[in-house]
Amino acid sequence: MRYGLKWLAGACTALALALPAQAETVRMTVSYYSAATGPYFEKMAADFHAANPSIDVKIEVVNWANLLQKLQTDISGGTNADLSIIGTRWLLDFVKDGIAEPLDPMMAPGFKERFIGPFLKPGQIGGKTYGLPVAASARAMFYNKAMLTKAGFPDGPKTWDDVVAAAEKIKADGGNGYGLMAKGTEVDVYFYYALWTHGGDVLDANQKAIFNSPAGVKALALYKSMLDRGLTEPAPTNYTRDELQNLFKQGRLGMMISGPFLMNQITKEAPTLDYGIIPVPVATRPATYAVTDSIVMFANSKVKPAAMKWLDFLFTPGPRIAFTKGEGFLPTTTEEAKDPAFTENARLKVFVSLLPNAQFAPTVTGWEDTAKAVTDAVQSVYLGTATPEAALNAAAAKANQSLGK
Amino acid sequence: MKRPLRSALSWAVLSPLILTTLLPFAVMISTALKPHEEVLAYPPTWFPRRIAWENFAEMWTSVGFGQAAYNSVLIAVASTLLALLIAVPAAYAMSRLDMRGKAAYRQFLLITQMLSPILLVLGLFRMAASIPFADGTLADTRTGVIIVYATYHLAFAIWMLASYFTTIPGELEEAAWIDGATRAQAVTRVFLPLALPAIAVTGIVTFVASWNEFTVALTLLRDPSRLTLPLKVVNLVAGRYSVEWNQVMAATLLATLPVAIVFTLLQRYLVTGLTLGAVK
Amino acid sequence: MSPAGNHRWAALPWLLIAPSLIMAIGVIGYPFYEIIRLAVSDVSRFGQIRGFNGWDNFARVASDPIFVDALVRTLVWTITVVGGTILLSIPVALVLREDFWGRGLARTIIMLPWSIALSMAAIVWLWAFNADYGMINATLRQWGILAAPLQWMARPETAFPVEVGIGIIVSIPFTVTILLGGLSSIPGDLYEAARIDGARPWQSFLYMTLPMLGPFLNIAIVLNIIHVFNSFSIIWVMTQGGPDNRTHILVTYLYELSFYLGRPGPAAVVSLVVLAIVFSATAAYMWLRERDA
Repeated sequence: MRYGLKWLAGACTALALALPAQAETVRMTVSYYSAATGPYFEKMAADFHAANPSIDVKIEVVNWANLLQKLQTDISGGTNADLSIIGTRWLLDFVKDGIAEPLDPMMAPGFKERFIGPFLKPGQIGGKTYGLPVAASARAMFYNKAMLTKAGFPDGPKTWDDVVAAAEKIKADGGNGYGLMAKGTEVDVYFYYALWTHGGDVLDANQKAIFNSPAGVKALALYKSMLDRGLTEPAPTNYTRDELQNLFKQGRLGMMISGPFLMNQITKEAPTLDYGIIPVPVATRPATYAVTDSIVMFANSKVKPAAMKWLDFLFTPGPRIAFTKGEGFLPTTTEEAKDPAFTENARLKVFVSLLPNAQFAPTVTGWEDTAKAVTDAVQSVYLGTATPEAALNAAAAKANQSLGK
Repeated sequence: MKRPLRSALSWAVLSPLILTTLLPFAVMISTALKPHEEVLAYPPTWFPRRIAWENFAEMWTSVGFGQAAYNSVLIAVASTLLALLIAVPAAYAMSRLDMRGKAAYRQFLLITQMLSPILLVLGLFRMAASIPFADGTLADTRTGVIIVYATYHLAFAIWMLASYFTTIPGELEEAAWIDGATRAQAVTRVFLPLALPAIAVTGIVTFVASWNEFTVALTLLRDPSRLTLPLKVVNLVAGRYSVEWNQVMAATLLATLPVAIVFTLLQRYLVTGLTLGAVK
Repeated sequence: MSPAGNHRWAALPWLLIAPSLIMAIGVIGYPFYEIIRLAVSDVSRFGQIRGFNGWDNFARVASDPIFVDALVRTLVWTITVVGGTILLSIPVALVLREDFWGRGLARTIIMLPWSIALSMAAIVWLWAFNADYGMINATLRQWGILAAPLQWMARPETAFPVEVGIGIIVSIPFTVTILLGGLSSIPGDLYEAARIDGARPWQSFLYMTLPMLGPFLNIAIVLNIIHVFNSFSIIWVMTQGGPDNRTHILVTYLYELSFYLGRPGPAAVVSLVVLAIVFSATAAYMWLRERDA
């Protein structure tokens, strides 16, 4: 009986393959990056459909704030799309649960070689490629040229000492010097900028927390002392990155660290703002944070070949350039990186030049818990309820409970 | 106490609460009418220099307000009707008929109130996703949301209706029986017309609860063309790099207005209706 | 007495309540069963059940200091919001019962918060309390009360009281409505008689109004406890439980656990804890009332 059914199923599949142009629908969950995200993917889907009339691509745009909940409920209910954009840091859980499909066997020859190596690597686990980097960004310091020129640093601060000195001048003029964020996502990363450039690291080779090293304590103490001396905006626990960016766009903030997407926002919303972009300030060594989002294919998809065809299309230079330019990200494929939009953009080049020193979020279970523990620690220090050392030690203990498990 | 004095005193006592209550509405209106460049002006002002009616038009298209309002109305009306359809007979049984286990049933209803959706979201979704419906499952359908809402309204509706029904004198129906009517006839001709005000009030309360609900809709709905108003408005704020506050406030204002008007018109009936039988 | 041509039919009441029972058991019971299953399982970030793990999730939650803090704060939250609501609603209802000019308008205004969805109300309040662009700071500065913008949401010491206040404001309409109905059920001549007997207003309030309001207060308290305990939108929209977890209540924490930290198992345990507390609080309250009655 079972064999009979199997045979029947096989026959049906064969028949389906033999039948011409049976319309297939590929569903893709897309995270909201900006108002341009939805229209971009809709347009690409239409272009793709025009070239491949047998494949319909259906796009569902979801806010980052709801993305994990949507994936979680969808996967547990078996109603997930065929493809989804995810934070690459979630990939390990996908692979562990057998939710993500390895893409290598389906890739056309030369497909993998289209990508810029370091951006593809976080999407590979155990030698197999599960995630394709759709969005990549690195971080650098944005500074307000008028304010910093007045403070004596027309080319921006090079070191943390410069940042403090410049912020003191800005404060004397009644402005906000350095933007500290302590609300929303990436509070942990904002601390890591200082941690890395003070020579510290988040995890050691055994994936244990070491952000509470002397370098980490020094970094957080630096932030806290700047806050106490009024060298930052008041009350960082009230500012997300987006709210800091609003201050910066209004010319009310001297310096902050952010990604290339802020350039797009400034062009659109504050075109007259004169600003510069320089590497993250250094104490002992240069560093920055690089992060990718990936497209994964779900193992339970019934239209894998069609979905792969669509992915192949998305990662050709035309669609890539449109996306990366529209959202203000870094190119993830070598062909798009050759486009003048990127090679002739001096500001964007700063970000690209930082990549050799970039730290990626490691693919390790418990990274989310580590982020939460560090965020809590940073907030408690800013609120004055814990010293940097005590807070970071407690956070490290908490992170170690989850790391690698 | 003379009426003028009493009026002045009453308003004086209520004024802190009234001001606090009106504050969010003032904020809504003020921001909804501000042009884009004034929203993040520092320091902000109550009155915009120019009234930006275009916010409403822009919001209407960027939110897809029409479709979302249609979804909200459809879901709220259908879930209210479904809840009433099931609650009225149950309330009738509770108030008119002898049955064993009435107290247990009442406790059961109270417990269903405690299992609030926020505690069950994952379970609710798993359930909806396991029930086949049309060419998919109940997940991501308005029908699924309607059924869940109706169920969550049942306890309150039965409770309200049953306590109101007990205040309708049974003699009226008994008189109809004497005239030869069957129970069903007595119910439809005598009882239901008398129960109508309570049914209406219960309906309004459940309608508003559905109209305002967020968690279940967030969990079950996906397709942008099926989202309700609260989802659309929260989506404008959550996880966006730049929030268009004037559009958010315009959407909130427009979503609130119909309900506020209904409340204003029905306020008097609501008080009498809700409480005639709230307890008994 | 029974209707003509219709015998007593013992099954009738059960037939009438059957649909509600089936629906409630199906739509609420089944997810509840799922939550119990998640609570005793090793569940992945994406809701895949990897296996049974007994009390592990419970132990994990019990040893979590954020959970303990959130538990205590939930009690504070519930007591202050429900208490504040009741304490404010009684005088408001008493005033609104009086006959005065513009009473209809006053009643309408006080009912208004009912018409905004809680999620939207929280967004509006968040915007009103925005440190830089919010109208509350702007107005307070205009009046000379504040010298510099107050960062309301930056510190739990200010953020949480603000949230409690909003919780009270949005709970007042329903509570006042119930109490107004209760007051209207007290016949006016009773007061007249008391006044003739020389009772002072506070005496007639204490010995007549309050006792007769009793059952209405009961309903208002029980429903408010259930509702406020599970109230998610205000805190989630305004502070997401932060900063430093110091505005978390159990439902916001369970949401964060489940959908941000990717721990559905422990989150399910928190769900069960919330349920157990609400259940026992309600039961204890009802028991107390019955004993007193």
